[in-house]
Amino acid sequence: MQVIVLAFKDLKRMVSDRKSFVISLVVPFLLTFIMGLSFGGGLFGKTGGISAIPVALVAGDLPDMLKQPLADGLAETGFFQATWTDTAQAAAWVKEGAVAAAVVLPADFTERFFSYEEVAIEVWKDPASQLKAGIVEEVIRRLVVLVQANEAAYVTLWPETADPVENQKLEDWAEKFFAGDFADIWQRVRRSDQNSELETVGQVFLTGMDRQMALVQALQEGGITLSVDDKAPTGEGANDGQVNLFNYFLPTFAVFFLMFSVAANCRDLHRERASGTLQRQLLAPLRPGSLLLGKWLAASGQGVFMLSVLFLAGGILYRVDLTAAPLSLLTIVILCSTAASSVFMLLALLSPNEKYMDNLTTVVILVSAMLGGNMVPLDNLPGWMTNISQFMFNYWANQSFQNILMESQGIGSDPRPALVLFGVSFGLLAVNLVLFRWRVRRGGLI
Amino acid sequence: MITVNNLVKKYGSHRAVDGVSFAVSRGELFGLLGPNGAGKTTTISVLATLLKSDGGAAVIGGHDLATAPDQVRRLIGIVPQEIALYTDLTARDNLEFWGRLHGLGGKVLKNRVAELLEMADLTEQANQKVEQYSGGMKRRLNLVVGLVHSPEVLYLDEPTVGIDAQARSRILEMIKQLSGGGLTVIYTTHYLEEAEQLCDRIGVIDKGKMVAVGDKEELIHQIGNEDLIRFILPEDKMAALEEACAQWPSCRGVGRRRGKVEVRVGDGAESLPLIQAWLQEQGLPLSQLEVDRPNLETLYLSLTGRSLRE
Repeated sequence: MQVIVLAFKDLKRMVSDRKSFVISLVVPFLLTFIMGLSFGGGLFGKTGGISAIPVALVAGDLPDMLKQPLADGLAETGFFQATWTDTAQAAAWVKEGAVAAAVVLPADFTERFFSYEEVAIEVWKDPASQLKAGIVEEVIRRLVVLVQANEAAYVTLWPETADPVENQKLEDWAEKFFAGDFADIWQRVRRSDQNSELETVGQVFLTGMDRQMALVQALQEGGITLSVDDKAPTGEGANDGQVNLFNYFLPTFAVFFLMFSVAANCRDLHRERASGTLQRQLLAPLRPGSLLLGKWLAASGQGVFMLSVLFLAGGILYRVDLTAAPLSLLTIVILCSTAASSVFMLLALLSPNEKYMDNLTTVVILVSAMLGGNMVPLDNLPGWMTNISQFMFNYWANQSFQNILMESQGIGSDPRPALVLFGVSFGLLAVNLVLFRWRVRRGGLI
Repeated sequence: MITVNNLVKKYGSHRAVDGVSFAVSRGELFGLLGPNGAGKTTTISVLATLLKSDGGAAVIGGHDLATAPDQVRRLIGIVPQEIALYTDLTARDNLEFWGRLHGLGGKVLKNRVAELLEMADLTEQANQKVEQYSGGMKRRLNLVVGLVHSPEVLYLDEPTVGIDAQARSRILEMIKQLSGGGLTVIYTTHYLEEAEQLCDRIGVIDKGKMVAVGDKEELIHQIGNEDLIRFILPEDKMAALEEACAQWPSCRGVGRRRGKVEVRVGDGAESLPLIQAWLQEQGLPLSQLEVDRPNLETLYLSLTGRSLRE
């Protein structure tokens, strides 16, 4: 009963203290709202969720038959909305801000590429859209590096490929292929027994293809794996085939803000100590552990409230789907908040004073956010770092929310993240209770 | 009601409370007088069960502090030096919270809160946030919060620090009323005027040790019940003054302090005309004459060699 009295007092103070209320709820909500808009999200789903980055592509001499599949492929990622155009139109669109960036291949791109000559791809960026244009530039840079690496590996493994005579035959054949001269190729293929030159070219090409495939396979077996889950939207209101990026970003933002909010609440232990209210509470006829439980319960309650508001706002404003596994979502919201409370209460008890705790929590939050996937996607971190991430409660919180919001899977399909959050919540709570009693006995909280 | 015997509290090698002993009767208002850092708050913290002692014993209301701290806690209330309130809540919220924490509820709590608001003269401001209160109002609320569960013993740790004379006077009035109502009070202060005005008995504490205990008259008697007559006198006349002093019936000695001569006499009223006559005889003017009767300040000075405000 007295635990409830203590927790209720903290929650009442939170609401009555405007500053604390703004920090814990309104600021995260506003930042989430702005971030949603900055990703191009339409309010109330009017633009079908978070839109992809608009990009103009200038073809150079790339054959038409490759253009549409390439644009479709980019669109399917959910990250880009590509449109083929000419140089003048691309420049105009970038200037107007109609596209975030234009990727311009030179007019003789194909010819120079297959002649092993240097090729420069230009990325024109809209200065008003630095972030999105930067993403496009980074993607193009990575693609270029990938092609260069493949080419270098290919030539190293099969040096005869660099033979100018053999290559010239391949290039002549490829030139006709990309020029759309299929009739001539088909005619020659059908009469290949009478055309030793074409036969040679064909063999070189097929050998090259085989080797390229072998190289790709070898690289994949070397530990670099890419897994793409192609999930088609189902049912009514299925967002017109667009991926809602906010399903990923909303929980990562929410968990990040949760850490700050719960840390502020746990810091109150030191404020109460400095003001003398903690000493007064210690004189009340109740167990010292009840004081800690009351604070822990209030911090958890505040976390549940904040996460609920942010998720509901995400659901209403940006059509984040909260209905796939609602019970699991609620459970994870609660476990995530209790785990955060236990972690930051531990930091409060390990800190000698408020200032020390401020510094400690800032470091812990920023490092946890970086390693746990709240600042950058975990896929971008090296393997050894993601091993460390598993020691952060927010890593498991992010995993849980992604399972529910992105994969539409309840806790039952992968209970591990929920079990870890449960263990962190109540395991650390037990440690906190022991530590609190120890500090009270030693007079360390007086 | 309270018996403290040879109480010790150490922080490392430093003895913050060093063998303190005293007793307080039921309904008595006992003052712990000493400068900042003398060990008053530490003594109160030990007696409130917030700190564990490193030696000695204390019995409060028949319960041993070491073996029955829970029973002791039920008897005591504390008003700490800090404003130990939730300033972002109202006075009513604060009193209700502390009342609930002590197990009060329903009508009992409601009546008790109304009674305490009335006592603190805060009924009209009961629903204002405490952060909007003046220093005196906060101090009054801080005091009545310590009474919410009707304790038998109240520890008041410098409850008038940082407030103006008018607000202080109001607080002291409240404390007198409480004591008059039968509450046992231990009152710590470094303001000797408060101790003199309020307390039935006073314990003088310095560097963790209790250097004197008794009522005001007993304490003053300890320094010999002497008056001090001070005035300006040239250095070359000191020997002559000492000779004269030996002839006067109540003169007990002559000294010099802070540029003035001090003549210790049994009765100031009797000795003053003799001193004035001697000065005229010597052809010296009567300059900056002071007559001090013994008080707690002189007691503290004589016991510790320093002033309370040093």
